[in-house]
Amino acid sequence: MSTPSQVPLPTEEQAYIDNVVGGWTGRPGALLGILEAVQERNPHKYLSLETLRYIAMKTRTPLSRLYSVATFYALFNLQPQGENTVCICRGTACHTRGSRNLLQSVRLDLGLAVEDSDSDGNDADKLLLTTPDQKFTVRTVACFGQCAMAPVVEVNHRICGHATERTVQREIETIRAGE
Amino acid sequence: MAQKKLSIRIDGQLISAEEGQTILQAAKANGKYIPTLCALDGLTPVGACRVCLVEVSGVDRLFPACTTPIQEGMSVTTNSPRLTRYRRMSVELLLVERNHTCAVCVSNGHCELQSMATALGVNTVGFAYNYPKLSVDMSHPRFVLDHNRCILCTRCVRVCAELEGAHVWDVTSRGIHARIVSELNEKWGQATSCTNCGKCVQACPTGALAEKGWAVEEMVKKIGTVTSLVHRRGVQV
Repeated sequence: MSTPSQVPLPTEEQAYIDNVVGGWTGRPGALLGILEAVQERNPHKYLSLETLRYIAMKTRTPLSRLYSVATFYALFNLQPQGENTVCICRGTACHTRGSRNLLQSVRLDLGLAVEDSDSDGNDADKLLLTTPDQKFTVRTVACFGQCAMAPVVEVNHRICGHATERTVQREIETIRAGE
Repeated sequence: MAQKKLSIRIDGQLISAEEGQTILQAAKANGKYIPTLCALDGLTPVGACRVCLVEVSGVDRLFPACTTPIQEGMSVTTNSPRLTRYRRMSVELLLVERNHTCAVCVSNGHCELQSMATALGVNTVGFAYNYPKLSVDMSHPRFVLDHNRCILCTRCVRVCAELEGAHVWDVTSRGIHARIVSELNEKWGQATSCTNCGKCVQACPTGALAEKGWAVEEMVKKIGTVTSLVHRRGVQV
């Protein structure tokens, strides 16, 4: 994995992390809370390797443990995220209602590679793609729990049920027009 | 600290064991054999390999002997056709998941996975092979990490964290994407916390972690060095 930024952490971010870590001292399960708070503050909603290094140092957690936790939970991103998130459900119900085509069309609309090289053509894998201009991130999830409305697409944390290629296109156009 | 004694039955034989012991520990202390892969004397058990499954009478489901604490009056069966079937399946699934090509492996003939497969009579595999594309990390001056042979038993993770205290290794991602990783997904040779002690190499049951300079069949692991260290230090799990 390439390192998005090798620059040392800005002092104000260091101060923020110090503060968060301080607030969690002595409480079990602190690591998840710390990582979540730090990621939420980042403008690109991700944890850079430098950030992880700093948190490891402050919490006295082994680096590998931190990396393990950050990659285990789908919640944490190690790559910068786009401003808008399009999340497509690839669960069984949505799959049978055509979410694969939906995903392909969104990828085409946003100009993202249709077949990514390391997935070996297995699109059941978790997918996370960001446009080069950092405007959109496309990701897949296993299930939203909204199978009755299949296929389901989540655009900026808003659930759109019975989605079609057209409705998703419209959502993306609306976001683009709103800028 | 006087331990309370519990009486249990292992394969019909009445055994007196200490409270807090696992089925595996009680069995070992009384000369009963339960096959294991991920368990290593002195490390915390994780129950990852599912080879040590045993039957407990009165309960339908099987229990991993390495993580199940004994209870008064428990009656354990360590060997039965059903257990052999499940153990064989566990080993087959391990073989299918990575590229375990024994013929060209440094640990051929000295591999715990291989001898387990032989002991359980796994001469064919009933599942489709995965053939994942995996890397080999040669960056360390003395050791090699070959993901193709890894069974994710996490012995290296535990021996490094618990005995050496360096915690260089951990498991990243999950499910089929799970990999052993050093520090923040760095090359092993660049891991600054690694003390080059080689405990992970000796603890590894397969050829996933090996010393450099050995050809096929030449890497003989000295598991005894790890376990004797545990006993010398009196590590309590």
